[in-house]
Amino acid sequence: MAQHKVNYTKDGGLPVALTSIDKIVNWGRSNSIWALTYGLACCGIEMMASGASRYDFDRFGTIFRASPRQADVMIVAGTLTKKHAEFIKRLYDQMTEPKWVISMGSCANTGGMFNTYSTVQGVDRLIPVDLYLPGCAPRPETLQYGVMLLQKKIRANSASRAQKAKRLM
Amino acid sequence: MAQVKNRLNPFFENITFDREDNELILNFGPQHPSAHGQLRLMLHLQQEQIVKAHPDIGYLHRGMEKMAENMIYNEFMPTTDRMDYIASSSNNYGFALAVEKLIDVEVPRRAKVIRMMLLEINRLMSHLFWLATTALDIGAMTVFLFAFREREYLMDIIEGYCGARLTHSAIRIGGVPLDIQDSFIAQLRVFLDKLPQNIKDYEDLLDKNRIWLMRMEEVGVISTDMALSWGCTGPMLRASGVKWDIRKEEPYELYDEVEFNVPWSDKGDNFARYRIYMEEMRESAKILYQTIDMYQECVENNQTELMAHAPKYVSAPKLDIMTQNYSLMQHFVLVTQGMRPPVGEVYIATESPKGELGYYINSQGGPYPYRLKVRAPSFWHTGILTDLLPGYYIPDVVSIIGTTNIVFGEVDR
Amino acid sequence: MRAYTPKDDVQKKSYYTDRFFVSPQVPKFPVENDEVFTKDLEAIKAKFEVSEAYIQVEQMVVFIQPEDNYKVLELMKNELEYTQLSELSAIDWLAKENKFEVFYQMLSMNKRKRIRVKMFIDKDQAVNSVEKLFRSADWSEREMFDMFGIEANAHPFMKRILMPYDWQGFPLLKTYPLQGDEFAAWYEVDKIYGKEARDIIGPELRDTAKVDRYDSQRFARLGHEVPKGTKITGNEPKNEQSYQEEGGVFLIKKLNKKDSVVIDDPQR
Repeated sequence: MAQHKVNYTKDGGLPVALTSIDKIVNWGRSNSIWALTYGLACCGIEMMASGASRYDFDRFGTIFRASPRQADVMIVAGTLTKKHAEFIKRLYDQMTEPKWVISMGSCANTGGMFNTYSTVQGVDRLIPVDLYLPGCAPRPETLQYGVMLLQKKIRANSASRAQKAKRLM
Repeated sequence: MAQVKNRLNPFFENITFDREDNELILNFGPQHPSAHGQLRLMLHLQQEQIVKAHPDIGYLHRGMEKMAENMIYNEFMPTTDRMDYIASSSNNYGFALAVEKLIDVEVPRRAKVIRMMLLEINRLMSHLFWLATTALDIGAMTVFLFAFREREYLMDIIEGYCGARLTHSAIRIGGVPLDIQDSFIAQLRVFLDKLPQNIKDYEDLLDKNRIWLMRMEEVGVISTDMALSWGCTGPMLRASGVKWDIRKEEPYELYDEVEFNVPWSDKGDNFARYRIYMEEMRESAKILYQTIDMYQECVENNQTELMAHAPKYVSAPKLDIMTQNYSLMQHFVLVTQGMRPPVGEVYIATESPKGELGYYINSQGGPYPYRLKVRAPSFWHTGILTDLLPGYYIPDVVSIIGTTNIVFGEVDR
Repeated sequence: MRAYTPKDDVQKKSYYTDRFFVSPQVPKFPVENDEVFTKDLEAIKAKFEVSEAYIQVEQMVVFIQPEDNYKVLELMKNELEYTQLSELSAIDWLAKENKFEVFYQMLSMNKRKRIRVKMFIDKDQAVNSVEKLFRSADWSEREMFDMFGIEANAHPFMKRILMPYDWQGFPLLKTYPLQGDEFAAWYEVDKIYGKEARDIIGPELRDTAKVDRYDSQRFARLGHEVPKGTKITGNEPKNEQSYQEEGGVFLIKKLNKKDSVVIDDPQR
């Protein structure tokens, strides 16, 4: 077997990177945010557009998953109606910790223009939300900026400590 | 981590799973990536074969008809965007046309040409989106990426015109608010010149693809009687052997002046519908070329009016509002109180990309419609799944839902 | 004294109407103006009682008796070539004359004509289902039941379609407010968390223009974001938000405006 002599003081130094656990876990988490495909209405189309060829969401490590058990972030894209409300709670509970929620568009934020009997006035009445994206519908750029803000938020948190569950009640 | 307590009952409250027979009940949706929105299907299965299908809708019911009863006519226009959100302008147009018939207003020619451009661009956008999502559901990822690329070019053009990508509100009652921007026609020409090659690319990928053919041919066959009985319109009806296109049969706008063919088929299966969507894209391109010529004629003939002149119902042009006192007062009244159409009712059908989009308006002379009913084509295209799915297999469900081209903003309203 | 608001119609009303304003009518033409409609009307009149018929906006409107609806539509489908039922719904006239108006929008593709068949029914009267003739009526009659509470006799599955099965009230009645009643307001909270959670979650915020400066539960002030639930005194520090990492992170470069190229051509 050939012996390779490595001069650690030269040639680019040690093949080792020093970092803290926090930083490397957060680095991994923040750069592989897998999103749940939760297109409810018009914003879902813009969410698809940001996943498609022009905006290319995969650059952020954001891959859409159809199962809540594989997802880290739930992008609530569209109007949440009262009939659908129980499902969002169920899907949120099925996601594994740590989990984040992006509320995309006016309807998900506050009910938006649909101030009617059948619309939930903001998903934050049912599940805790990390990020609100304004717009009707928000452009794909907005969603991407939102994901970058979420990455920043994840990196700012301590990963080694047990995550404090975000609960409404 | 402990779950938060909630009151939700187990998922299937009313369904017994321990059945005597071998039937399996499968729940599909309402959050399913290939349900094209919030469709929930209860499928009764015998092995892999469906014996009974029960579509459950209403997960996107936002009460738009109720909203319309509490809004002045112009206020309702942005709400129509959110109905068929793949092709917003066609919804705007259907509503605007219904109100124009009610108040009996004739739209200037230039506005008509611009409206037709918008409608056909929307049709292209809708069909491209349909192709992308259906292909994605069936597994053709490349087509999804290709079709979205072309759709983005159209989005750019529309965005240059009205500032929005998805929810345009680009049409007003009585005309259009703006003339098209300088680069509109140049950009459109560039796109249209490339389009035949693009469509050929999709067809090369799909037409002879074995997987595509197996999932499409002889699957989801709708007979003529069934299509008529279920109120199918648009491509769904044309694929089932009825050559009925409202643009051709009951022409509105300037569709009687343009030349185009109505593709139809008597096969009635998924593949026939797919072919019709592809051919319709070609026909739309043909219409768009003709509208460009019509627009240039309007420019040469110096027809600059964009809004109809009807002081009781439609505001004066912006220049008049800014310079003339009476125009400003009239505009103020129309914005704060709203127009008051005559007492009567109207039902107007237009050919949206999905099918017959009709608006029924009952006006009692007030600024709010007394009753507004939207006849959305997707509603019945979802209903037909009840009769269509039994007999087919689980993988066919996805391709059948795909080719029906349903949009849930429109189904549930 | 508070102004009286009628309880039988809670929809929005115009706040000002000129006393002398007389609303014009959309013109109604006699059926004789159109050959095809004249023949159709004669065929219907030969067998059924027609109370009124006219042409409005190029479509014929025929008023029939509610008990005849199935047979009239059967005649129109089988003999008059009206092969499609485009739309079916109702209008609420309860406040005015305690009646519903039900309309059937018919389309004949051979004749290129549309007819609207209408009838008046009493408040608790059921209509005959036309589901046997047109399958599309299956869903429209369910929708009519869901929105108005009008039941259809002999319908195979008379249940709500758009609203949940356990919903109370019929949303498109004029007595039903746009923003829903008490039941609607708490529907999702009651269902998911139970009634005792009402106090914790709080009522719905229906005023879209409302901004509470000191509310850190919902939206924090832009640039002054604080953790959720913090008591805001007004002296919270300014918080710079930008997507560029301070100091730079592996693989993420800082934007240098000098080196960047602006692409003008949107087609690129």
